[in-house]
Amino acid sequence: MDFHFFIASGLTLDAPSFNQAYLGVSYLEWLTNSLLVSLIVVGFILFWARKSTLRMELIPGRVQNLFEAIVEALYDMLEGIVGRHMISRVFSLLATLFLFILVSNWFSLIPGVGSIGWGHESDHGFEVAVPLLRPTTADLNTTLAMAAVFMVLWIYWTIREAGVWGTLVHIFGPKGGLKGAMGFFFAFIFFFVGIIEVISILFRPVSLSLRLFGNVYAGETLLTSMINLGHDLGLPNMVAYMMSVIVPLPFYFLELLVGVLQALVFTLLCAVYIQLSTALNEGESH
Amino acid sequence: MDVITQIFANFGVTWPKFGAQVILFLTVYWILNKKAFGPVIKMLEERRTRIQEGQQNAEKIKKQLAEAELRYQDVLRKANDDATKLLDEARASCEVHSQKQTQQAIKDAENIILKAQETITQERNKMVAEVKKEMVGLVVNTTAKVVGKVITPEDQKRLSEETTKELVS
Repeated sequence: MDFHFFIASGLTLDAPSFNQAYLGVSYLEWLTNSLLVSLIVVGFILFWARKSTLRMELIPGRVQNLFEAIVEALYDMLEGIVGRHMISRVFSLLATLFLFILVSNWFSLIPGVGSIGWGHESDHGFEVAVPLLRPTTADLNTTLAMAAVFMVLWIYWTIREAGVWGTLVHIFGPKGGLKGAMGFFFAFIFFFVGIIEVISILFRPVSLSLRLFGNVYAGETLLTSMINLGHDLGLPNMVAYMMSVIVPLPFYFLELLVGVLQALVFTLLCAVYIQLSTALNEGESH
Repeated sequence: MDVITQIFANFGVTWPKFGAQVILFLTVYWILNKKAFGPVIKMLEERRTRIQEGQQNAEKIKKQLAEAELRYQDVLRKANDDATKLLDEARASCEVHSQKQTQQAIKDAENIILKAQETITQERNKMVAEVKKEMVGLVVNTTAKVVGKVITPEDQKRLSEETTKELVS
């Protein structure tokens, strides 16, 4: 399979491994193009964080100031959702999620990501089958991994805060303090509501991961379609080339915005889930 | 369950790929928690505390300034009252002293005039006595030369008495 540079290429649903077919090794099934991007993104975030916090001063420099401004803004926003008693415990995870998703989303907009790689000639010209770099949030493995890590820690924090019994009572227990026949009836209803709640909790990692994956994947597909629009319409090469530069520009700005929004949505939903489960006593006391 | 497995397979979700992403994410979470967010939050808390302390100090200083201003006004008013009182007293005292001094000066002047008059009188008497003595001597000498004889002490005494009598008259 030939290695080619290409202006745009559609993504496949799965992130292919650099396995024997491309690299000549069979033991690197986990090494995908999206994992490579994850490593680059993690490297960038760690480098930036280290540079910002290496020599911290009370009056910050430019690099420290930017990092602190982002952390402070996130801290204040998330503190308002999860509450003062939880923020110190959950902030690091939520901030890591936000930064990782944001940088990954924006990294995927760099020209070359998804369009440089191995491919083959076809009837429509050269097609990149395995890009060297794939937007990591357009890989379900990545989004599912983030959602799974969050859910495990969410269960740990919920049980630590409310206890096993407290959590079960919160999910299945009757609310409203009714007694007698009505109380029994409502206890029965609330038990079934609890079952629905458990199902919704089980679906949270799926909904979180699929939402992010779907938005980024759709964004990539949209940009590819816009870049190839002139070519797909059968316009002359010069016009198609001009269109491939001009037409996607507004969509790049849209994707910049979507990148922030999706990072915020993922983080805020996680914060809300934490708030719902850890503010049990506070909520019930009211 | 097969459906879910099939869906995951379609999306390329496999345990090795999923596991690698989980490990990577947990690693970055752990490192950021230890090395980045912890120190930054600590720094932000420290800064927040300092700002709060600064604001509290500013409030305290403002309060102290207001109190000092009140105290200053009080002291100023009191000093003003005291000064006015002192000035009045000084003015009154000055008046009395001035009168005393004037009277003393008048008295002194009178004494000086009196003494001067006494001195003038004494000087005058002394001068008159000297003039008398000179005149007697002159008369006696002149008489001796005119008469051409030696003047006896009795003559001298008589001439002196006569001259004195003449001068007095």
